[in-house]
Amino acid sequence: MIEITCNDRLGKKVRVKCNPEDTIGDLKKLIAAQTGTKWEKIILKKWYTIFKDHIRLGDYEIHDGMNIELYYQ
Amino acid sequence: MGSSKHKKKDKKKRHHSSDSSDGDLSSKHRKRRHPSSDLSDVDVSNKHKKHKKHHKKKEKPKDKHTKYHSSDDDVIFVPPPPKISRSEVRTPPPPSLTPPPPPSISSAADSLSIDETNKIRAKLGLKPLQMDNKETTKSRDDGLEVIAGDEGEFVHKPALSLTEKNKSDKIKARIAEKKEKRMIENKILNVKKLADSDSEEDAVSWVKKTKIIQDEMEKAKKKAQELEEMDNVFGVGDLIEESTKSEMKNFYSSKHLKGLEVQHSMDEFIEGKEVILTLQDKDVLAEDADVLVNVNMVDNESYKQNIDRRKQRLNYSGYDELEEMDIDSPSVVLGKYDEEIDGLKKKSFKLGVDEYKLKRDTIKEKLKKKLNQETLNTTQLKLASDYYNDTEMSVKFKKVKKKKLRVNPLKADKLERSLLLASNNAKENDLDDIDDVLHERPMDTYNMKMENEEDDDMGLQLALKKARKLKQLEKIERKPDLADTLIKTEYNDNALGAIVLNSTAEFCRTLGDIPTYGKAGNREEEEDESLMDYDKNNLKQEHAVDSDESNDGWREVEMEKKLIDLKTIDSKPILEPEPDLGKGVAGALRLAMSKGYIEKEENARPSASRFAHLQAKNYSIEDKTFLAEDDKLSRRDRYSGPTVEFREKDGYKPNIKLDYIDDDGHLLREKEAFRYLSHKFHGKGPGKNKIEKRIKKAEQEALMKQMSSTDTPLGTLNMLQSKQKETQSPYIVLSGTKSTHQNHGGSISKTKIG
Repeated sequence: MIEITCNDRLGKKVRVKCNPEDTIGDLKKLIAAQTGTKWEKIILKKWYTIFKDHIRLGDYEIHDGMNIELYYQ
Repeated sequence: MGSSKHKKKDKKKRHHSSDSSDGDLSSKHRKRRHPSSDLSDVDVSNKHKKHKKHHKKKEKPKDKHTKYHSSDDDVIFVPPPPKISRSEVRTPPPPSLTPPPPPSISSAADSLSIDETNKIRAKLGLKPLQMDNKETTKSRDDGLEVIAGDEGEFVHKPALSLTEKNKSDKIKARIAEKKEKRMIENKILNVKKLADSDSEEDAVSWVKKTKIIQDEMEKAKKKAQELEEMDNVFGVGDLIEESTKSEMKNFYSSKHLKGLEVQHSMDEFIEGKEVILTLQDKDVLAEDADVLVNVNMVDNESYKQNIDRRKQRLNYSGYDELEEMDIDSPSVVLGKYDEEIDGLKKKSFKLGVDEYKLKRDTIKEKLKKKLNQETLNTTQLKLASDYYNDTEMSVKFKKVKKKKLRVNPLKADKLERSLLLASNNAKENDLDDIDDVLHERPMDTYNMKMENEEDDDMGLQLALKKARKLKQLEKIERKPDLADTLIKTEYNDNALGAIVLNSTAEFCRTLGDIPTYGKAGNREEEEDESLMDYDKNNLKQEHAVDSDESNDGWREVEMEKKLIDLKTIDSKPILEPEPDLGKGVAGALRLAMSKGYIEKEENARPSASRFAHLQAKNYSIEDKTFLAEDDKLSRRDRYSGPTVEFREKDGYKPNIKLDYIDDDGHLLREKEAFRYLSHKFHGKGPGKNKIEKRIKKAEQEALMKQMSSTDTPLGTLNMLQSKQKETQSPYIVLSGTKSTHQNHGGSISKTKIG
């Protein structure tokens, strides 16, 4: 299990527990469950790379305690 | 941090000093070593445990503080700095699973506990979070994992992933393909190749086979021979032959086909090539004869026909004669519609009938007919002669008869009589009353032939009539000097009687005279007046009649009225009443004018007419207004009334000439004048060079004016003429001194050539 923090710099900051085998889509769903936004509207970014839904966190090398930028569509 | 440490150290120092009462505290080394020496009971070496020592140092003071607090009041307690307190916060050990949040985030981030997240994950259909420490999952036999959670064991069945499914499908498909390929390859491998020899058939067996076949054939031959011999013996052979012959007779041959129609043209059948003809389809009940047709040829024909239609050939080729020559299809009117009216004509021939022969026969017959009708010998040739023969001479042109003008010689007594009569009827001016002699003459002139001219020219006739009448009048009026009239009338008669009006004569007569309308130029000036008078007289009569005719532009002005006006003027007193001087300046002026002290200004203006030729001929301001009116009548009407001529200064025609004169007295041209003025205006003269240039130009102009137009500036022509006079020859020798030295004699010949 890893824990990731997602921050849009507008006042929402969420720590999410998830598995490295989860896909980004799953992560988005978890974030949506915590924040209350629809998961389709969420965009996850690290610098300029937008994470795609069908790829696993492990494959993006997202580790425990990492910060991911949270944007909205 | 450093400062705080120092403080601590200070405290320690004091403490130590109080505790162990050490004398030297000056050096830092000592200070440091001192506590270590204090702890040396537990730790052997200072250097090795430096790190630990440090920790202890931190913790120690606390204890000591407490100690001091209790024991010693002298020492001032300094509250520990906030940094230390932070370390205190850190001290509670973080839970192993949830690492302590980094200080910056801790306040804002909201996170769920593991249980909560697991619940959510279960709702979303995800696996529960993996815990590193517990081994809760067991693998089942069907590949799914059994997870022991807090709420009992459950199986997580992962959602069906499309990508994996696709992948597996692809792999399956590839495997299937491979399998099929292998199968086919196996099949192909099993097939025997051409080069492969049959394993069963070797040379020996083949020889055996052939031998057997040969034997059988020989046996069959033998049997046949035997049978024939048997037939011959019994006479069966003849019977068979006869039967076959009869059969052959009945056999369907070309004879049977004779007369059958083939619905294709003969040209389509090529010699040496077989064509299968079939009977054309037709109605069962129809009684038409059978027609043979080849299906392919029918198709070809329809195809050709379609192409022909598409081409849209011209109906008329322009070679009609050639078309007429074609005997098969004589030219038809609007032949292109024949197909639509009569249906398609198909070329056909009958089997066994020589069509060409038939055709040839028909042509021959036609030619024979023609030969009977026409002969080849055309009209005989003749020699063309330059002269007319008798028959041709006998043909005469119709002579146009010329009416000869009969000129009656005038005689004195006749004239006298006529004149007398005329004087009686002078006021009436009626021709009919004049005596027959006079009557005849004008009739003659009236019937005068006019060559090359239209005799129905009304204007001319009218003019002539007028002239004639005038002459009569003249004679009457000038009765007193008879001799004069005689001569004149005679002259006139001659002139009139001999007149043949043609274009050349007319032209010659009018030469040198001022051309006038409606009369020939051979009249004196007096005639004009008389003509006018006559006109006057006549006008009254004709006015009513002519008014309709004379509408086309010119109107005759009645002259009589003016005469009357003059009379009325005459009736007035000759001298006007003298203008009153007492009425001011105007009265004085009028008086002066009437007395002739002041000339009228109109007379003072001399040259208004002189520049008449400069006035616009085709365009004037009035014209312009008229055109403008035409263009936008409505708009003009809106703003202003009808245009009125500017009458106040009707006679005002100023004659202005602006002359500009140079400082040197030269008359300046427009350009120069402008330059001069502008120089004056700007107060800035031309440059030195410009002035020089202009002076030069003026000089040259003067020279040009002085130059003679007949001779060169050096007077060569003059010299030449003088020389020629001197030598008395029409030439001069141009050769220089050299040439004259060399060949003195030759110079003449040379000049001759020149």
